Amino acid sequence: MQIDHAQVALLAERLHALGVGRREFLKVVGALTGAVAVGSTLGWDTSAQAQRSVPAGTKLAKEQVFRYAIPNEPSSMDVNRYLYGGSDALIFAWLMKFDPNYKAIPWLAERYEANPVGDVYTFYLRQGLKWSNGDPVTAHDFVWSYQRKLDPAVAADYVGFFYDLKNAEKINKGEIKDLAQLGVKAQDDLTLEFTLEGPRGYFPVLMAYAATAPAHRASVEKHGDKWTEPENIVCNGIFTLESWDHNKQFTLKKNPTYFEKDKITLDKVVRPIIARQAVLLAYENNEIDFVEVPSSDLKRIQNDPKLSNELTLYDAPITWYLTPQVTHPPFDDLRVRRAVSHAIDRRTIAEKVIQGQGIPAYAYIPPGLPGYIDAAKHPKFVEMQKFDPKRAMESLKGSKYEGGKNWPKITLTMREEGPNPKAMAEAIQAMLAQHLHMNAELEILEQRVFRERLWKLDLQFIFIRWFADYPDPHNEYYDTLYSKLAGGRRQAWSNAQFDTLLEQGRAELDGDKRLEIYRQAEEVLQQDVGYVPVVWGVFFGMFKPWMQGVPRNNQEKVMVDGNIYRWAREHMYIVEHA
Amino acid sequence: MVPYMIRRLLWMVPTLLAMALITFTIMHLTPGSPLDPVADNANPLSPEAQRNMAKQYGLDKPVWQQFVIFLAKAVRGDFGSSYVYKNRAVHEIIRQAFPVSLHLGGMALAVALVGGLTLGISAAVYQNRPVDYLCSLTAMLAVALPNFVVAVFFILFFSLMLQLVPTGGWDAPSHWLLPTLTLALGPMAIIARFTRSTMIDVIRADFVRTARAKGLHECRVILVHVVKNAMIPVLTIVGPLFAGIGTGSFFVETIFRVPGLGRFFVESMTGRDYPMIMAVVLLYGVFLALMNLLVDLLYGVLDPRIRYA
Amino acid sequence: MARAPARPASLSPPQAQSQSASLWTHAWRRLRRNKLAVAGGIAIILLALLAIGADVIAPYHYTTPNFGRNFEFPNREFLLGTDHLGRDVLSRIIYGARVSMTVGVVAECIVLAIGVPLGALAGYYGGRLDMILMRFVDVMYAFPRLLFVIMIMSMLGRGLLNIFIAIGLTGWVRVARLTRAQMLSLKEREFCEAARAAGAGNLAIIVRHLLPNALTPIIISLTFGIPEAIFTEAALSFIGVGISPPTPSWGQMVGENQQFIRSYWYLCVFPATGIASIMLAFTFLGDGLRDALDPKLNE
Repeated sequence: MQIDHAQVALLAERLHALGVGRREFLKVVGALTGAVAVGSTLGWDTSAQAQRSVPAGTKLAKEQVFRYAIPNEPSSMDVNRYLYGGSDALIFAWLMKFDPNYKAIPWLAERYEANPVGDVYTFYLRQGLKWSNGDPVTAHDFVWSYQRKLDPAVAADYVGFFYDLKNAEKINKGEIKDLAQLGVKAQDDLTLEFTLEGPRGYFPVLMAYAATAPAHRASVEKHGDKWTEPENIVCNGIFTLESWDHNKQFTLKKNPTYFEKDKITLDKVVRPIIARQAVLLAYENNEIDFVEVPSSDLKRIQNDPKLSNELTLYDAPITWYLTPQVTHPPFDDLRVRRAVSHAIDRRTIAEKVIQGQGIPAYAYIPPGLPGYIDAAKHPKFVEMQKFDPKRAMESLKGSKYEGGKNWPKITLTMREEGPNPKAMAEAIQAMLAQHLHMNAELEILEQRVFRERLWKLDLQFIFIRWFADYPDPHNEYYDTLYSKLAGGRRQAWSNAQFDTLLEQGRAELDGDKRLEIYRQAEEVLQQDVGYVPVVWGVFFGMFKPWMQGVPRNNQEKVMVDGNIYRWAREHMYIVEHA
Repeated sequence: MVPYMIRRLLWMVPTLLAMALITFTIMHLTPGSPLDPVADNANPLSPEAQRNMAKQYGLDKPVWQQFVIFLAKAVRGDFGSSYVYKNRAVHEIIRQAFPVSLHLGGMALAVALVGGLTLGISAAVYQNRPVDYLCSLTAMLAVALPNFVVAVFFILFFSLMLQLVPTGGWDAPSHWLLPTLTLALGPMAIIARFTRSTMIDVIRADFVRTARAKGLHECRVILVHVVKNAMIPVLTIVGPLFAGIGTGSFFVETIFRVPGLGRFFVESMTGRDYPMIMAVVLLYGVFLALMNLLVDLLYGVLDPRIRYA
Repeated sequence: MARAPARPASLSPPQAQSQSASLWTHAWRRLRRNKLAVAGGIAIILLALLAIGADVIAPYHYTTPNFGRNFEFPNREFLLGTDHLGRDVLSRIIYGARVSMTVGVVAECIVLAIGVPLGALAGYYGGRLDMILMRFVDVMYAFPRLLFVIMIMSMLGRGLLNIFIAIGLTGWVRVARLTRAQMLSLKEREFCEAARAAGAGNLAIIVRHLLPNALTPIIISLTFGIPEAIFTEAALSFIGVGISPPTPSWGQMVGENQQFIRSYWYLCVFPATGIASIMLAFTFLGDGLRDALDPKLNE
């Protein structure tokens, strides 16, 4: 009998709350599943994690310095306030983290419990945690940090996901002025209690997301905006900011007060600022140790005897999809939307146009994330929007565009992105013209302009992506497609049944049941063609041969630092090399 | 001379004012607000948060008032904080980035001068002979190729194939070679062509014929008489040329990772970083005006026929 | 020796008429002797023909994709290879000639349309008008051109029309200055006084007498302005604020294919060669014209 990991984790929490010890639980679960290595999925720390990840007998390089390029100068190192400041989040540490399989595991908190309803979560911090200046890390730090984040005067850049906390939305919108009303309290120095707006099964997952990073109160109050300059900054993460040569590079060094510092092999991480056009050249010239391979050079690298050995594939939880706006003709007609979904040859796009840097998508959630719909188990999803030019044209029967005629002016809009998305959009343009005689104009807008018009629901036909923030279907569906979103709604499509299912899924605590609810939601979404999936993202990277220890997930895929998983450098080490 | 200089400097003031007004207007007419978040997945800020941000940036006031406030502060040297680089003041960023651009521009100009003058003089002296055609052709090619294409070829050739220099950065002299070369190509060609034509003009002039008739050695004729006189018109283009390359070429700085001002400007545009845009534009204006003034003064010094009232 | 056709009779005094007739004749003769200029001129005419006849000449349409045949190196079926969508590079270059030439010509026309009248009026009338205009020109000159173009493109958004406007709005100062300088030097000449004595109105003087003689530097400026406009469009496309796909322009092709320079060099090199050729052609022609029209070279 197969038991889903998420299910096991949730079961473990419940049992722990009831006082069932770890040993007994392992015996029970082991007996049920026959699986031995369940420990890592549970909500407790395991001793295995505290060991160094370097295998015995490895000759380590004398200098454990990882040269890791970043494309732009960070606009701020204050992760608590600017999650998207382009900085390095590992200079801070927060309550939970993700393991390479996207399971939320304890980090600064050694454990947590939920009340039976699921709307109050209590996190217990470890003893002896310290900031880099010696100050203890306490629950009060987190309370202050989260109040700060939601304070409208601070205008932090990504707080919407925090609206699950009681009163968070009202505070952020200025309706409640007293920050202390926020649903997070410090019961004592090491106990943090969160009160939510309602039962939320995925809350521990949220706490592993980098947006929950704290800030050092005393430094912020003393230095204001300058508190993240290297001479002022105080960190509690794996690394501290050693130096910041603006516009050239910044350097992180191992934090001597980090509680698991003996586990970390890397001493320094040097981050030169290198534009995307120049980064591959720098890698090939041995100036950096890792690079994300642009699609333009993929074939050449695959054919190169030396470089192809350094090549590795990694998932990025990203979905590219089309939004035919239901408020703009011709897409107000369901038949037209269906026609579009059958006219897109996803396999060609993924394999030929972007040269294998994508997987044809048939649902919203990409593989590797909980909520992913396995085609083998649920083949109907692959059928619903599959490529079929005849069916595409037939879908138009009975509408006023029958036979692919009478199309109004159609503009496919996308944000300025890299070359791959542009190539995909051009391919889509060509396919629509070929199979539906629909000649769409491609409009590429600058970021800010695009987003303004997107949120005004002003765009007729959009090619857009979703990059998952945390591994839970709630993030994928609710934060993008829920029609009653607080702000930042991306499309005009709405469906009452879909919304109800999302609300149910949010409150459901049982793992399996949740997945079933979200599957139903996906089905409703696709029946009504609220979106047209195109591809899921696949990325290629190269590591220099002396970079070792990069963690892998259960599918043997390398886990590189990204939006969700950020702890690759915990495990990496450098072997001796020339 | 001095009253002329003072008059020119005074004229800079209304010019800069007009520049500021034009830039300010264009910025505020450009769609997309600095209050919108930059990040990919970010949702818009809550209206309350946006109001606060607007107040912080001074964007809640009427536009004309914002302009006046900007002027009042700018006169004192306070250009505010960058909207994009959250904890850095604009003048800090400029103070770090501008000298780098100047450095790169200065070196590029030196190379362009040496190379351009050599090519131009050789072409003029051996006019209509193979040397002339070769030099002219080289100059034309240098002008015709877009410098972002040349940049990549240079990196491929010098960094990856010959392993002579690193692919970018700005620390050691070995980093300076490629960006300087790439940036110098265009100006070198312009200087070469211009020098050639002025040299040809001067070579035909009467006083040169006189010098030759006097029996002076050809070398001396060329170097002392011709070149000295041909330099004067060439000077007129050097000033603006330097201002152009000194203010940073975006492409070269991006591809070679030079932490200069040119990169910042384009980033400021996309980021709607109003304070940064205003400061950079005004800086360029001042710099260009000063360069022009310098050139005109030099011109007056070198050419005795010119008198400034 | 072929003579230039006699100019039609007009109100211009006979002296000016024969002067302009002989000027053009001499110029034409000198131009024809300059082999490089002739080569440049022929190249430009060929490119113009290519641009106009693109629909007929190009083997494929520039949007026709062949998904199974992308990234092919030059071969018999696709003479210059295919791009990421399997589109024929040769066809896209031929159509691209159309866009590049259009950008060059139209943008420069806008430059002329604004710059010449303003410069002429300022130069002729002088005084207050001249001062205001020259101050304005100084301000415009104070902006680095490329950055000004980027600012305007950000404001207007992408698209061919916006590129014309942006390049036109930033380029007219050069021509205005030239025209004004010509006006200043020409308006004191005898034929101008003669025309005034004959009772011709100011506007007539400017248009019929002064401008034709001022044409020389303007024409030369035009031949250097066109490649500069094409170059600017290439730069804009490189940054990403140029023309929208799928319309090909040489600059845009270089910009978007620069990433492929190591894997599929032909995608970038051919359009870059196109840009280089057109710039060389205009430069040769411009040099030739300058040499031909420059009275100082009268031997």
